[in-house]
Amino acid sequence: MSGVASSVLGVRVIPWLAMMAPTAHAAASSGSAKRVIYLFMSGGMSHLDTFDPKPKKKDVMGPMEAIASNVDDVFVGQHLPETAKVMDKVCVINSMTSRQGAHEQGTYIMHTSYAMRGTIQHPSLGAWAMKMSGRINPEIPGYVAIDSSQEVTSGGFFGAKYAAAPIGSPEAGLKDVHRSGAVSEDAFERRLALADRLNEKFHGRFQNADVGAYQELYREATRLMKSEDLKAFNLAEEPESMRKLYGSGRFSQGCLLARRLVEHGVRFVEVQLGGWDTHFDNFAGVRGRCQEFDQAYAGLLRDLESRGLLQDTLVVVATEFGRTPEIKEEHQLGRDHHPSAFSCLLAGGGVKGGMRYGETDSKGAKVRSQPVEVQDFNATIAHALGIPHEQVVMSPSRRPFRIADQGQPVMEVFA
Amino acid sequence: MDAVMVEGVRTIDRRVASWLKAEKKKVPEISDDAVFLRRAFLVTVGRIPTAEEARAFLDDTDPEKRRGLISHLVHAPGYSWSMTNWAFDLLRVTDRKPGFNGSFEPYRAWVARAMVENRPWDQFTREVIAAKGNPWSLEGAPVGYYLRDRGMPLDNLANTTRIFLGSRMECAQCHDDPFGTTERRDFYELAAFTHGLHEADRSPMRPLWDELEEGDRRDSWEYRVARELWDRIYGMSVVGGGEGRIRLPEDYQYRDGDPGEWIGGRTPFGKTVRMSERSQANDGRAQLAEWVTERTGEQFASVIANRMWARVMGRPLYDPVDEYQDAEDTRFPELVRDLSRLMVALDYDLQRFQWVLLNTRAFEFAPNPEVGRFGNGEDLMGRPLARLAAEQIWDSLVTLAKGDPDQVEVPTSDGRFRVNGRLVGGGTLSYENVYAEVMELGSEAAFRKYFADLVKATQSEGSGGGEESSMVAMGPRGGSGGRGGLVRACFLPSPAPRDHLLYVFGQSDREIVEGGSREPNVGQVLTLMNGFVQKQLVENGDAQVFTCLEGVEDARERVRRIYLAVLGRPPTDEELSWMMDEVRISGSEAWRNIVAVLVMSSEFVFIQ
Repeated sequence: MSGVASSVLGVRVIPWLAMMAPTAHAAASSGSAKRVIYLFMSGGMSHLDTFDPKPKKKDVMGPMEAIASNVDDVFVGQHLPETAKVMDKVCVINSMTSRQGAHEQGTYIMHTSYAMRGTIQHPSLGAWAMKMSGRINPEIPGYVAIDSSQEVTSGGFFGAKYAAAPIGSPEAGLKDVHRSGAVSEDAFERRLALADRLNEKFHGRFQNADVGAYQELYREATRLMKSEDLKAFNLAEEPESMRKLYGSGRFSQGCLLARRLVEHGVRFVEVQLGGWDTHFDNFAGVRGRCQEFDQAYAGLLRDLESRGLLQDTLVVVATEFGRTPEIKEEHQLGRDHHPSAFSCLLAGGGVKGGMRYGETDSKGAKVRSQPVEVQDFNATIAHALGIPHEQVVMSPSRRPFRIADQGQPVMEVFA
Repeated sequence: MDAVMVEGVRTIDRRVASWLKAEKKKVPEISDDAVFLRRAFLVTVGRIPTAEEARAFLDDTDPEKRRGLISHLVHAPGYSWSMTNWAFDLLRVTDRKPGFNGSFEPYRAWVARAMVENRPWDQFTREVIAAKGNPWSLEGAPVGYYLRDRGMPLDNLANTTRIFLGSRMECAQCHDDPFGTTERRDFYELAAFTHGLHEADRSPMRPLWDELEEGDRRDSWEYRVARELWDRIYGMSVVGGGEGRIRLPEDYQYRDGDPGEWIGGRTPFGKTVRMSERSQANDGRAQLAEWVTERTGEQFASVIANRMWARVMGRPLYDPVDEYQDAEDTRFPELVRDLSRLMVALDYDLQRFQWVLLNTRAFEFAPNPEVGRFGNGEDLMGRPLARLAAEQIWDSLVTLAKGDPDQVEVPTSDGRFRVNGRLVGGGTLSYENVYAEVMELGSEAAFRKYFADLVKATQSEGSGGGEESSMVAMGPRGGSGGRGGLVRACFLPSPAPRDHLLYVFGQSDREIVEGGSREPNVGQVLTLMNGFVQKQLVENGDAQVFTCLEGVEDARERVRRIYLAVLGRPPTDEELSWMMDEVRISGSEAWRNIVAVLVMSSEFVFIQ
């Protein structure tokens, strides 16, 4: 692990490196975000039915209508009435483009900036943020994934220390963080000490990264158990008014929990909303997803703003690809995968609100101007966080990697 | 065992030995009995041995006992459940998906039964790819493979080639593969074989359904009965045997075809099978199944052989398992070729094939400590140390809590017709029969008559004593679920709910092929310290790991038994002295603490 350790040291000289970097981009002032809430729309969110509607094209829109938002030229799908009222805080990127048209690969590259390989597991964005910027609150996990899949929220070659702490149910929070009432503190400590002895023996025999990771995780877990900030994970402490603001669905709870977590100093929170793979009966599917999303997202932005957190919290809405302008009659009005053009959102963290960046053609099939590759998008997130996107970190196999591969941040979105 | 199997073991041993020699590698040591025992159990039946099982093996002085253990394990019921987990992960078998109100239960039960019956892999593959007919019947149930991916036939096909042939074609859905040889046209030509899957025509029912959907009729019994037919009869129908032709997509971008043009089926490699673009056939999937299993040269056999090698040896001979490599291009050309041949010689019998691998020297090698997650490629230097899969951890914890969890009935799909989850008509109606009858109804009038009769037949007993059922858990019915659902993973919902231990330890979400993860995270450690393990095991006085201590007074012997139960080995002298210290300090509480400590140990969560 010495390679990793030295690159940790390397991080300390970041400000200097960033200033010396040769490109104009890197010399510009970085974003003001300290934290990220990354909302991932899993399955491939239809850009046409959400944030890139084509109101004049009936054949593309099918039964979906577009509605006006509180920003003049920004329209959204009809099932996003609450979101429409907060678009002044949001930058819509309509020109996302990718070549990964399968879920696994698309999801992977969005999370890691790299294409999947059989030989290496790349760290996820959250792991990069932890690696490059460290924890804000050292007592609780710096990276938390709610309702997400562990494959794309892993620490990759950075190791388990950088992996997200998984939360399966926002209502239950981080499970099992309290010592059972049946175990005295003494007994608990003795158990740990004994287990540690056994593990040292085992670790001595097997110098294996994963075995080491578990040893480290025990230390982390016991630190966490003693933390005052565990309440960050407890939704029960939220007043009813907050529940009303965010709505009652599972994703709403996830967003509310995400806000609690960033408030308590978690660096990166991912919340997933699945079910966007609307090959079959797209319009019913999108309506259902939007009902989950709409109030939660709008509530989150409003809440962050009223707490003064929005300026240094970047809220990302991402997905692995869009969906086809063609509507498949034979699949009860379904839409298939469409990576060549899709939409993602940025809000807060120094990003300008009330703007659209990039444009697709009249059908929403191809990007017409200002294309944003997946890596550019991730470089933009990095920039918002003040992470130098050009900083190289070596993997344990001595290969060079960067948070956004060769991506360049989209500077126009920053205020 | 037969001569082919015995010869198979010899051949593999010879190949491995000559590879080690040629590479000038030291021959790894042979694992001791305890490591062998635990490994054999986890690999073969997917759980740790009970204290009894461990002791019986370790105390046995028969020099042939390893071979005896393997033969016992591959024929034990646990083998089927372990293979069921494997198949669920591979095929993404799920209980529910958004927008689908039918039932995946018959399909799920069919997959499990195929594993229980050790269905030969080529036959299994054919039955899945060519599936047709009544989804509620034993023969038709594999249509669930297509039902699972309804509306996404191209993804389904990409998964089919990935799973059964180790060909990754998903990129070619949209463009020529820049790294490989597959062109977008190739993909569509293959898709032609499966094209045209659709639901049965709902028009006989639609007028009635539209009437019932009107507001206030939704609470009526008629509506509920209709709902069953709409969702679980029509909604589960998969019609169309494969047209053999397909239109190029509207955004087709290459010179060799025009958007919207009909193209006929053509297989991309192996012995070419073609179908005509001029006429609509109905046996494309049968032809595809035939091609996959019979006409792709060594590919079909090689991929499943490599998957089985990875399952038994902890890593594949070529990596990843779902990217087929010609034997010549691998690091072990002879071995890869031999394994393909063995697979064919054993008629794709995965049980016998695994028996062969389990009896090789390579399976006995001591774990290779050098190889971690960032391994330096494939070698034959011993099994990499790896964390147990989520299902192995769960099934092992269940074993500690309940003892041998495998004495259960073979699951069957309960296909009795229900309305709103209630048995009706005295439980004599089956979905299978209703499906067959409804599919015969050719007109609206015929449907209305049938429906009226069905409503009458179900209403008469509608409220009386019907048994509630979730229709979700396949598992052994009749209350053997036991404390907190302490049954093997393959009997729990698939995937398990997100607050379950299986999720925390990375069980596949069934969205992607082999989606399970062994990545460590802090939640796992918390579960082991404070969660499930504490509540269902350490504090559960009825847990097998405690009941096996009954009547044993001697403290050392008690420690020994706990060690056997949790780690499958006796304690070392040093460990024994540590544990005896704990006994002196904590008295009767010590046993709980020792169990907790051993389950928290890395040795428990890793397979050597």
